[in-house]
Amino acid sequence: MALQALSVGEFLELVNHTLKQIPSNEVIIEGEVSDYRVAQGKWVSFDLKDEEAEAVLKCFMTTWQLKAPIEDGMRVQLKGYPKIYERFGTFKMNVTEVSAVGEGALRQSYELLKKKLQSEGLFDQTRKRALPRFPERIGLVTSRDAAAYGDFLQILNNRWGGVRVMHAHVHVQGREAVADIVGAFRYFNDLPESERPDALVLTRGGGGLEDLHAFNDEAVARAVYASQIPVVCAVGHERDESLADFVADVRASTPSNAAERIVPSRQDVLYEIGTLTDHMESRLHDTLQEHGFLVERMTNVIGFILERQKERLARVQDGILTRVEGWLPRLREHLEGSERFLRQIDPKRVLARGYSLVLSGGSVVRDATVLEVGGEITVQFAAGSADARVSRIHGKGQQKLV
Amino acid sequence: MTAKKKELNFSEAFKELEEITSWFDSEEQLDLDAGLKKFERGLELAEDLKKKLAEVENKVEEIKEKFSQ
Repeated sequence: MALQALSVGEFLELVNHTLKQIPSNEVIIEGEVSDYRVAQGKWVSFDLKDEEAEAVLKCFMTTWQLKAPIEDGMRVQLKGYPKIYERFGTFKMNVTEVSAVGEGALRQSYELLKKKLQSEGLFDQTRKRALPRFPERIGLVTSRDAAAYGDFLQILNNRWGGVRVMHAHVHVQGREAVADIVGAFRYFNDLPESERPDALVLTRGGGGLEDLHAFNDEAVARAVYASQIPVVCAVGHERDESLADFVADVRASTPSNAAERIVPSRQDVLYEIGTLTDHMESRLHDTLQEHGFLVERMTNVIGFILERQKERLARVQDGILTRVEGWLPRLREHLEGSERFLRQIDPKRVLARGYSLVLSGGSVVRDATVLEVGGEITVQFAAGSADARVSRIHGKGQQKLV
Repeated sequence: MTAKKKELNFSEAFKELEEITSWFDSEEQLDLDAGLKKFERGLELAEDLKKKLAEVENKVEEIKEKFSQ
């Protein structure tokens, strides 16, 4: 029977078809990474080596399929499908998933991712947001089966009340954990602003690197980073750390500590309210006292002013008196002089010397011509007077006084 | 005083109390009338806050949503 010849292409197609019979999804291959390279920031290639069998598997994948960073010497497990590239005749493993194995490799992977996120600024202190002092709604992202859930709520209830805890039940380990946690963050952040929690708490108990893988996952770290709601992260015991811790706004050491960080304690707040009211009261009391002092001082000042005014009045009075005393004798002298003068010109003194005064109709007569014969005149003497009648008038012209 | 009998917002009430208290520190010479009014309001707030602290407990509600996918 003559065999039919296949072209190279047809043959390789047959081989590739045969390779597809391998149930790739159920096969996990483990080995050590070497010759790890990234080309054009997109294409990842490395050799997966088997130390004992000296076997090498050429691997190929894209950077976005690479969830956790790997490097040479790291032990990894991977899934993928094998294929022969017709153009180059090379056999390669198209890797779909790769993850580090063993504590050492996980540690290595963790450190690599930590360095990467750090250099991107995901841990920057400057972007840490403050938590609201009295949160009303808290989004709790943890498993309801975890001890962390009970611990958190117990401390929360001990310390504070009136909070609505919106619990998103997620797996905190295992294969679904990452998608659950990322989904919960998306859920809370997608809520309308009025329904959004004031803060999110992402927590679980402690564990090894393998248990904490979801909290060290890049997607979770980025979800925490992207959250518009401030995040408190608390993983396990005091000394456990996770990448989510570093990205979170507040890193709490334990689930209980997360509750302490997120709500104040009743006692502290009661004490503070007491301090505030006491302070108001004492300031008000001081003010009242100040007002009292002020009134007292005002009274004193007014008294003082009155006293001074009284003194001034007395001084003015004294001044007036001394001045009056100065000019009073002079006034008296002047008055006496005037009196003397007046006395000298007194007509009565002329009469006393023997002269008489003739009056007609009440007026002094200075000229004889104003008189009429038969008219009545009064002659005034120094003592007494006499009425008389004019019998003759002697000529005009001035009488020559002898 | 307007009788706002809606749910007391704890952080708003606490903030108001803090503001009133700091008002008492803000000026050398306090206006006695304003001071008395503010003091009265402050005591009222403190009372409300204390009452709220005493009475409430936390409510936990489960979110029904499935988060994976």
